Amino acid sequence: MSEFFSFVLQNVPWGCTFALVAVGLVLTYRATGVFNFGFGAEAYAAGLIYAELYWHGVDRLWAAILVVVVIAPLFGALLDWGLFSRIPPGNSMAKIVTSLGVMVVLPSVVQIFVGATNVSAPPAPLFNEYLPVWHIGSGPLFVSGSELTTMLATAIVLIVLMLGLRSRRFGLPMRAAVESPKLLELMGVNAKRVSRGSWMLATMLAGLAGVLFAPTETPISANNYSVILVAAIAAAALGALRSLPLAVVGGVALGVVQGVVQGYVASDSVWYQALVPSLPFFILLVLLLVHPGMRRLENRNDPMSGVEPPAPPPALALRPPHINRVIHRFRWLVLGTVTLVVITFTPGPWIAALTIGASFSVIFLSITLITGLAGQLSLAQAAFAGVGAATTAQLAVNENVPVLIAAVAGAVVAGLGGWVASLPALRLRGLPVTLLTLCLALLADNLIFPTSWIGGGDNGLNVPRPHIFGIDFTAVDSKPFLLLVLAVLLAVSGVVHVLLRGTTGRALAAVHVSPVGAASAGVSVRRLTMFVFFLSAAIAGIGGSLFAMSYLQESPSDFNWFFGPTFLVIVVTVGATTVEGAIEAGFGYALIAQALTYLPSTVSTNTNATQGALTVLILSVGAFTYATHPEGIVEAVKRSLARTVFRAVPANPAERRTRGVS
Amino acid sequence: MSHLLEVDDVSKSFGGHAVVRHVSFVLDAGASLGLVGSNGAGKTTLFRCIAGELPIDSGSILLDGDALPSRPDARARRGIARTFQIVELFGGQTVLDHVLVALQAHQGHQGPWRDLVHGGRTSSGERERCMGILALVGLADRAETPATTLSLGDRRAVELARALVGEPRLLLADEPSSGLDGEESRILIHILNRVRKETGVAVILVDHDLGTVKAVADTVIAMDAGAVIAAGTYETVVSNPQVMSSWLGQSS
Repeated sequence: MSEFFSFVLQNVPWGCTFALVAVGLVLTYRATGVFNFGFGAEAYAAGLIYAELYWHGVDRLWAAILVVVVIAPLFGALLDWGLFSRIPPGNSMAKIVTSLGVMVVLPSVVQIFVGATNVSAPPAPLFNEYLPVWHIGSGPLFVSGSELTTMLATAIVLIVLMLGLRSRRFGLPMRAAVESPKLLELMGVNAKRVSRGSWMLATMLAGLAGVLFAPTETPISANNYSVILVAAIAAAALGALRSLPLAVVGGVALGVVQGVVQGYVASDSVWYQALVPSLPFFILLVLLLVHPGMRRLENRNDPMSGVEPPAPPPALALRPPHINRVIHRFRWLVLGTVTLVVITFTPGPWIAALTIGASFSVIFLSITLITGLAGQLSLAQAAFAGVGAATTAQLAVNENVPVLIAAVAGAVVAGLGGWVASLPALRLRGLPVTLLTLCLALLADNLIFPTSWIGGGDNGLNVPRPHIFGIDFTAVDSKPFLLLVLAVLLAVSGVVHVLLRGTTGRALAAVHVSPVGAASAGVSVRRLTMFVFFLSAAIAGIGGSLFAMSYLQESPSDFNWFFGPTFLVIVVTVGATTVEGAIEAGFGYALIAQALTYLPSTVSTNTNATQGALTVLILSVGAFTYATHPEGIVEAVKRSLARTVFRAVPANPAERRTRGVS
Repeated sequence: MSHLLEVDDVSKSFGGHAVVRHVSFVLDAGASLGLVGSNGAGKTTLFRCIAGELPIDSGSILLDGDALPSRPDARARRGIARTFQIVELFGGQTVLDHVLVALQAHQGHQGPWRDLVHGGRTSSGERERCMGILALVGLADRAETPATTLSLGDRRAVELARALVGEPRLLLADEPSSGLDGEESRILIHILNRVRKETGVAVILVDHDLGTVKAVADTVIAMDAGAVIAAGTYETVVSNPQVMSSWLGQSS
């Protein structure tokens, strides 16, 4: 029994870390209406700056104060001014996309500009790291300086925030600004200032969490912060993202339960390696399914929402027909010319990059379907690609199934995974669906891909390429294989294009905008949701298989969970509502990465990690314009160009009539 | 012969608070019924129960003597169409798209196989049918206009066209004159009566504007605190002392 209590007490500080981040998430959500996926990235940046300041000779306490009290709030004000204040209160999708943009872009920015990939952990801002050992009951209790600081900070933050949010002077305007900024302004309160203050406070908390977590892991890595963030989401979900005390209880309980399980399970068992890290995701999954508060997250009705301009409609409908016409008329010519040039003149490394780009394009088309058309922000598309790749590899390597048939099977298995995901998604809408898909991606990453009978173990599996008609596809820079992948891309594009412009696209767009209206029109929301989850996952599975064949290898980390949000942000940035948007994003992702390898080796930041970060940054930064350009920034530029070129002919038929153009 | 709609002893509560209490009425094919009552009387909740958006706690709702499927989309395909108090349009879609979505859903022509076979194209028959309905509600010349750019009156007409294109047996119109000025209301009443005459659809109308109710409904039911307090012709109901008391707070 004393062993049990020892496990419990030892893990309270770890739970306090979850609790602190969970409190930050709840505060951000209550005070700004944004579920801040970027919280972990903000904490990472703060932790890194704190460490850099300390290692450059600044006193640790002053460094912490500078980061938490000055830098973090200023960054919060910048986030509000530059991004979140520009999103209409009712546009919850734009809020999620923008915060995902922060999550993906900020670590890349830090990596590029701070250049820090190997910064050692600094000491905690208070206390010595090695405190006297306390004895409770029969066992010793080790509490380090950083743990004691975290526990104290959690307690203080909880008390201050609970009193603050309840107060009429601070808490009431904050909560009111989330519900209806316009109504608050009618009461004579400057809603913008309230919102800015909320963001400064929320980012300050991220800064505090970052500073307090920095001493616990060395080197400081963005991934550790992301893992803490996801675990904290489960803690925050206990109170439906609204209750601060429950978030703290959830955080501490999660840390303790994880510690106790860890204490009793043998460290070399699969349970230890898979179950313990996955516990928070299981808990979040269960809470999403059974907690009524989590299902009702999106039910917020601003009484003044009618005063706001309506959210921009889905992009396809407003696209000037001239662009479509130009694309339709010249697509075969452009495709043929590009293919000919590529096959004839392109050097080897670029052939490989194009092959990877075509594989990514197929994966990204799955996002076009589920996000661009159905309006569901799925963070699990990379995981479905991984399922497709793993199935293909297992069947082809261990069962000797021809690899193309194995790829079809991989698509079906991934599609079934998508169908299973759709079942809980039927009861959810908006943010909870995003969280659900995040959970699934994390569970796949922790439970499915590391197993040898699925992901092939630590080293993965060698994936063969097909042998058809005696053609050799096996060379890394094989042009026939590029042609094969392009043919698959063309076929998948055709299917997605037909669905986009057909009855399915129209019905999905209707369900996206107004599920109630669509149901009243007889549209089966249930059937369509299940179908779109199935098909998008199957398409991602095909892309994953092609990707594995391109690299001639499948490994468990190829599609780790962070690729989910990264892919989503990239596609949304380029254009999630058109087929060519996904294709441009896929090739852009691969070709920019390839181009960056030509950076002079004298550039100090020219490492693989930095190149990857730069690629993501270049392609993702446009996500911050999602509120004004839901069609994607590249798509918006295309339209702007088309408007300039076709200025003489109005795009809208009604406008055409008004202006007397036949 | 059975009635078109039979609402029998229907009750609905939210968290122990009874919003609809033991409501019963019948409606014959082609007839029209006005539901009136003050805010919170339970009219819209009753509507939502009939449309399948809310499950009922007790009682039964039958269409042509048969029990209804539970989901609203299935009820819509069975012949119960509705419009909304706060207009529910599909942002970004044209007027014609709205009607096409509903038509294809009713005909079972909606889905990936159909798209793959027909290349995602709309048939000329479907288009003609939609244009016919749009002509009925006076929107034929705005078929290609994005629906959300129209005036409120026209947006309500789009909803009406979307509801009617599946040839429903029963139309539930939830406060159709809400937010409309006198002229727009008159146009809407004209459209509703024309639709009734030309399609033979039965209508249940909820509205606070008694003029609209009088102009459209054959019979009227008054509700208060979730229960039916009077039923009959418009004149009978509005002169009912209990109704007067409920609306005006008079003791008699």
